[in-house]
Amino acid sequence: MSTLNVSNITDGTDTVGTSYVVNGSAKAWVNFNGTGTIAIRDSQGVSGLVDNGTGDYTSNFTSGFSAVDYTGTTGSSWDTVTSGVINFNRAVGSSGYSTTSLFRMQNVVVDSTTNRTGLDVNYLYAVFHGDLA
Amino acid sequence: MTKHLWERLLEAKSRLDPVQSKYRVLFEDPSEPDEPAKVLVPDPNWMAAALEGDILPPIDTYQRDRLVPDGQPKEHPYAEPIGAMTEEEAIEYLIMKDIDPAVWRDYQGNRTIMKIVPVEMIPSDRTFRNAWVISQPEEIA
Repeated sequence: MSTLNVSNITDGTDTVGTSYVVNGSAKAWVNFNGTGTIAIRDSQGVSGLVDNGTGDYTSNFTSGFSAVDYTGTTGSSWDTVTSGVINFNRAVGSSGYSTTSLFRMQNVVVDSTTNRTGLDVNYLYAVFHGDLA
Repeated sequence: MTKHLWERLLEAKSRLDPVQSKYRVLFEDPSEPDEPAKVLVPDPNWMAAALEGDILPPIDTYQRDRLVPDGQPKEHPYAEPIGAMTEEEAIEYLIMKDIDPAVWRDYQGNRTIMKIVPVEMIPSDRTFRNAWVISQPEEIA
């Protein structure tokens, strides 16, 4: 594989430093099914996914981040209609729920009384940006 | 100079077909006794890299990096890659990487808290997912 070693990239009008492109790229992402037997559909930079329980997952990174201030963006989709608001987001819990090498996330339905109940849905997605170790 | 692990993974994904493992790892976290059994699902692209070789770093680099404070240089990204693994070796590597040592190394209780099982043994009906526990040998006998 050949390597293009340049400091900037330009389209003839606008120029951007290569570091912006590299640093702005997602460092890991995962797309997986959340019903039946959990399986990863596609991914980058993920070594494994832990099914912790209903709607509760941990993504493990092959190449870890430098610090825990990286970001995770999550989303989910489903076929069945469920009352309440569905929210797939970073899990709230002990400090071990998110480290430089893993990110725990929960898909929950929040009903009118603000109860949070785990929910399995068809597809879930997560993208991670930040500085690598 | 060895390329960063992230670059090696990008390059590997561009040329290797993903491999869906025939194994899953069931485990219970002794620090969270009220939680249901967990299931570790190997990533297909990661498994392809493990089987190919010359991409992933030695497992002990990850273990040492667990002790490195945030923001300090870590060893695993630039460590010299290891050779090809069998699928079984890759699962063992993944256990040591993705599961807390409190489960696979330090636990001294009597319960069986970790099992490597064929994927067919994982129930596909998740109705009572939060009640899953690992069957104990005396329950099976």
